[in-house]
Amino acid sequence: MIETTASPFPQVRLRPWLGIVAAALSILAMWMGLVWAPTDAVQGDVYRVIYVHVPTAWLAYLAFVVVFLASIGWLWTRRPWFDALAVASAEIGVLFTGLFIVAGSIWAKPTWGVWWTWDPRLVTTAVMFVMYVGYLLLRSLSSDFERRATRAAILGIVAVVDVPIVHLSVLWMNSQHQLPTVLRPPGGGSPSMDPAMSLTLVVSVLAFTFVYLALIVERMDLERARQQRIIEARS
Amino acid sequence: MAGADARATALLSPRRLLLIAALLVAVVIAFFAAQSLANSAVYYLTPTEAKDKHIGPGVPTRLGGLVLPGTLKYEPTSRTLVFAISDGTTNVAVVGNGVPPALLKEGAGAVVEGSFAEDGTFRATSVIAKHDEKYAPPSPGATPAHNTP
Repeated sequence: MIETTASPFPQVRLRPWLGIVAAALSILAMWMGLVWAPTDAVQGDVYRVIYVHVPTAWLAYLAFVVVFLASIGWLWTRRPWFDALAVASAEIGVLFTGLFIVAGSIWAKPTWGVWWTWDPRLVTTAVMFVMYVGYLLLRSLSSDFERRATRAAILGIVAVVDVPIVHLSVLWMNSQHQLPTVLRPPGGGSPSMDPAMSLTLVVSVLAFTFVYLALIVERMDLERARQQRIIEARS
Repeated sequence: MAGADARATALLSPRRLLLIAALLVAVVIAFFAAQSLANSAVYYLTPTEAKDKHIGPGVPTRLGGLVLPGTLKYEPTSRTLVFAISDGTTNVAVVGNGVPPALLKEGAGAVVEGSFAEDGTFRATSVIAKHDEKYAPPSPGATPAHNTP
């Protein structure tokens, strides 16, 4: 039974700051990525897609791990706040997985020579996208709040299995896709990115992470208002 | 209601035990799924693997390896692309058709899709360049590839 939509965690007023920091970091990342970072010796300027491709991939991973944790939170505590976090993170995750695939495709055409190929990394990413679209569809199948949240939570836990598979697929299998530059396994060799390029990538990842946080806060507010209406209609 | 409250506040209610069991099952499934994927999924064969498996003519295949230095030739008028793909042990002559990708270079990685012809050469329907995960500015004096087509 829903009793409160309140957060189980102490409340901090972050809202305006998240948006401001996200916007400022995004502008900085754009300048660094397009102007400040040097051109790549092999790929030329087209490598700059990495400053979108890698952060969107990171957000997809982050969003779906948050869905997983929030799903456990809902099943463990039955606090609707966790369900609001799960749906908010899943929607943002699907958005950024889509952007991740589009950015990868735009990068692949001029470098590999094809928009798409059935490489393990690309296939597992497409599976991830379809699974979380399915997660959102599953949420629309039931109108009963508790049932919907529980069903969604089970899928939210199972689907996260694909996240490490996406990341590690390039290590396990022969692959068209290159190995990870960041988040490499230990013993994977020396850092393989110029320091100025790495710094730009770090700032881009930070900027996208703040965009994610700002979007989560907004989307959760919407969902909790919806939950509040369900509570009022029941009482 | 009091009974429900007591159940909800118990640290290990049946529902929570079920959740823990489900998580353990998910971990086991993930482990076996990942292991079998890693053992069975093959995107491309190396030339040596293709030789050992005796891939017959006409069978759709992907080969991956390095473009053997000194073999890459592209004839713009007939749009014929010829090179040898190598894994260090076995070399396979590849004949393709069409403009090569900009990053297809001697000594760099490539994946070719197509099939073997009767004479043992590989007829590629698609030639895909591979690039590595290293990023660096051009060394001083070198001309940067500013415009990758």
